[in-house]
Amino acid sequence: MTDQSIYRAVLLDHFHNPRNKGDLGDMQIVRRGSNPRCGDEIEIGINCENNTLESVRFRGRGCSICLASASLMTESARGLKLTQARDLIEKMQLWFGDQGGVGPPGMGLAALGSVRQHPARKKCVLLAWQALDEILDEIERHPEIVGA
Amino acid sequence: MPQDPAEKAPAPSMAAVDFEALRDDFPNLADGQPPLHYLDSAASTQKPACVIESIRHCYAHEYGPVHRGLYPLAENASENYEAARRTLARFINAGTTDQVVFTRSATEAINLVASGWAATHLQSGDEIWVSQMEHHSNFLPWQRVCNQRDARLRIIPVDDRGRLDLENAPELFGPRSRLIAISQMSNVLGTINPVREVVEHARRHDIPVLVDAAQSVGHMPVDVQELDCDFLVASAHKMCGPTGIGFLYGTSARLRETEPLLLGGGMVDEVGIDHSSWAEIPARFEAGSPNLAGAVGLATAVDYLSTIGLKAIEQRVRDLTDYAYQTLEAFDEVLLYGPETGNERGGILSFNIEGIHPHDVAQVAGEQGVAIRAGHHCCQPLMQRLGVSSTARASLNFYNNEQDISALADVINETVKLFGKR
Repeated sequence: MTDQSIYRAVLLDHFHNPRNKGDLGDMQIVRRGSNPRCGDEIEIGINCENNTLESVRFRGRGCSICLASASLMTESARGLKLTQARDLIEKMQLWFGDQGGVGPPGMGLAALGSVRQHPARKKCVLLAWQALDEILDEIERHPEIVGA
Repeated sequence: MPQDPAEKAPAPSMAAVDFEALRDDFPNLADGQPPLHYLDSAASTQKPACVIESIRHCYAHEYGPVHRGLYPLAENASENYEAARRTLARFINAGTTDQVVFTRSATEAINLVASGWAATHLQSGDEIWVSQMEHHSNFLPWQRVCNQRDARLRIIPVDDRGRLDLENAPELFGPRSRLIAISQMSNVLGTINPVREVVEHARRHDIPVLVDAAQSVGHMPVDVQELDCDFLVASAHKMCGPTGIGFLYGTSARLRETEPLLLGGGMVDEVGIDHSSWAEIPARFEAGSPNLAGAVGLATAVDYLSTIGLKAIEQRVRDLTDYAYQTLEAFDEVLLYGPETGNERGGILSFNIEGIHPHDVAQVAGEQGVAIRAGHHCCQPLMQRLGVSSTARASLNFYNNEQDISALADVINETVKLFGKR
């Protein structure tokens, strides 16, 4: 395994020791992300207070990249204002987009960069982020769900 | 056993084939630095230099329009195209050369039969039967035509060992059955299906059978007259030929009942404002300028395989498969799908490693120079039957060797080390 390997220590650590993973029973909003092509299937749940993501959790099954990215996402998004979370998701999508010229949105996420050279796996990375994006859409449509 | 078509084509050497030396025929395997362990031939095979050269030669020195010109270059191009058809017809032992129709792929050939034959023969309540192990290309065209004609798509189940469960398809040869479409070799499980037996029963009830031979032609002797099937399809790129060309074989009677899928140049007899008539078979199914270089490349691949000998190729792959099966079986973490080794199985091995996603297996493999596939292999109904969303798949051809399989074993060790439970 070389340094260029997409399975760098950070990703393997998040795969073996996922953060914020488990039951979503007491979350205010839960959204599912799935990729039927490869069988990745995860759920993201959030609790929100004063326009801030107080907790972000996930559960599901999938490849190591999908699960590590979900774990990293929950860490990065927790504590963010909703607008900041939206901004972070947009930056992630730009970073993984085709245009180039955009770097990782934060040091903690840099490990995911090794996946960028494997286009077939970009979707695995973005699955959790897209689910969070849908949660933010839902909050915009129905702010009463989070008590706003 | 089917007669080896190679016995009628260029004669294979009687001496044992030196398969290790044949690797040098494949630039991608011979040049490989670092070495390439190519275990993805079920997706597409590597190409021997003779095929690559024949395509280059065709474009460089013998290129002209097919069936459209009266000058020598064009006449020669037409002759080369038809010579390729003869080579292919002899290879699969078609009764006559015009029973072979060039298509873009096996997929297009199945769509041609679905749109051109099934759509004009199905009535409300009729049934088309496919098996649960079919590739989407031998599933979706039938699903659509059944929906369009208010017919039913019926499924031959697959047993726990990945074989057709014909006993649990009692209506397969029933009065509403209008067509049976099955693969000769599963692209996921490697299962070799008893096509001959199915056709024999179907004959008695006058039910046509289409054989998806994409994984079998070029890998074992395939004789359409011995199989006695109505239609058979395959793709060149899975048998050492180029991409972009495949073929449909049909009996003359069935092809006469089939409407063309594509209309346009080269497939007509007479065109009027209100009515037109089609050219003879097979031209009526080949609208548009034909793929001359593709046909030439395919014929060269056929000659190449025939010279080695299809029985020798089949035996070589069987030996490799047996070795690979036992190698994988030795890992406690590895779950293998499909029949055990032996006559029921071609060179395709699907497996999973407990608790590890097949994409992770394939990615680690890629980093170690081992090319395997991971995913649903265009067989979602079969994945549902196996109760998984995807598998890893190693597929073998005669140019593989012991080192390729050892490299796969190394991949499994590495994958378990990285992702396994600690």
